[in-house]
Amino acid sequence: MPVLTADMVEGLVKTGASCRVDADVKAKFKQGDKVIARNINPPTHTRLPRYVRGKRGVIALDHGVFAFPDTSAHGKGETPQHVYSVRFTARELWGKDASERDSLNIDMWDDYLDPA
Amino acid sequence: MAHRHTAPPSDTALRVKALESLLVEKGLVDPKALDEVIDTYENKVGPRNGAKVVARAWVNPDYKARLLDDGTAAIAELGFSGVQGEDMVVIENKPKVHNLLVCTLCSCYPWPTLGLPPVWYKAAPYRARAVSDPRGVLKEFGVTLADDVEVRVWDSTAELRYMVLPERPGGTDGMSEAELAALVTRDAMIGTAKVAAP
Repeated sequence: MPVLTADMVEGLVKTGASCRVDADVKAKFKQGDKVIARNINPPTHTRLPRYVRGKRGVIALDHGVFAFPDTSAHGKGETPQHVYSVRFTARELWGKDASERDSLNIDMWDDYLDPA
Repeated sequence: MAHRHTAPPSDTALRVKALESLLVEKGLVDPKALDEVIDTYENKVGPRNGAKVVARAWVNPDYKARLLDDGTAAIAELGFSGVQGEDMVVIENKPKVHNLLVCTLCSCYPWPTLGLPPVWYKAAPYRARAVSDPRGVLKEFGVTLADDVEVRVWDSTAELRYMVLPERPGGTDGMSEAELAALVTRDAMIGTAKVAAP
């Protein structure tokens, strides 16, 4: 019996599988806090893109608690923690030739951030 | 005499065939299940779903408020939910704020409302340039923004999936929800287009 059969598809597609974790984990940051993205360079899975490492931003939204892919992708547990939308100015990321008006929001786990 | 060859399938097609053969041989997947998945995303789920969400938000201020407050729940009210849309965030374009979506790490995209992503969305040039030169990318898509409009790029690196609520174009007063939905394009919900007036 295959693991995935045709009659299972509709239900799976409709339901999906959220990576949200129902755990009471304290947030390290709140909206408006200034943060700096850690300059880490793991050889293993991470969702911290190089272009924000070491850059300064502001917590824009708290999305709640999610599993942490840097550990869950390697079978090392969910390490549940808050995920935030962090706002960086275009100039912080790309220098003075970027528009002074523009910005970028990116989703970051607690373990990617330090207070700035 | 020249002899004829059949060109072999592309590398990607060969890789998919090899993977599918292995999954089936090992008994992990029923080929009929794969057909069902393909049929779902070719014929049942696509950007017309998202267009219905946008049109509802345009005609119903209460729905729009719910959509911006809890995208997942408001989208589910119209029957759309599931894989790659488990945790939705809807962001609103305004006269002075234009939002643009990208996934720099791969191809994250809100499947229940927009279907599968277009090839360019998954391609390295879009993923690199949408963050470093969003105005240049928008111009190539035919969207030229005034200097006093803020461009906000959203890089979906985590498990949240985003959708843009585009601005309702002028000249649409009195149009029905279904007529409005017909105006909404996939690209307008990614942010690489605006919704044109009828």
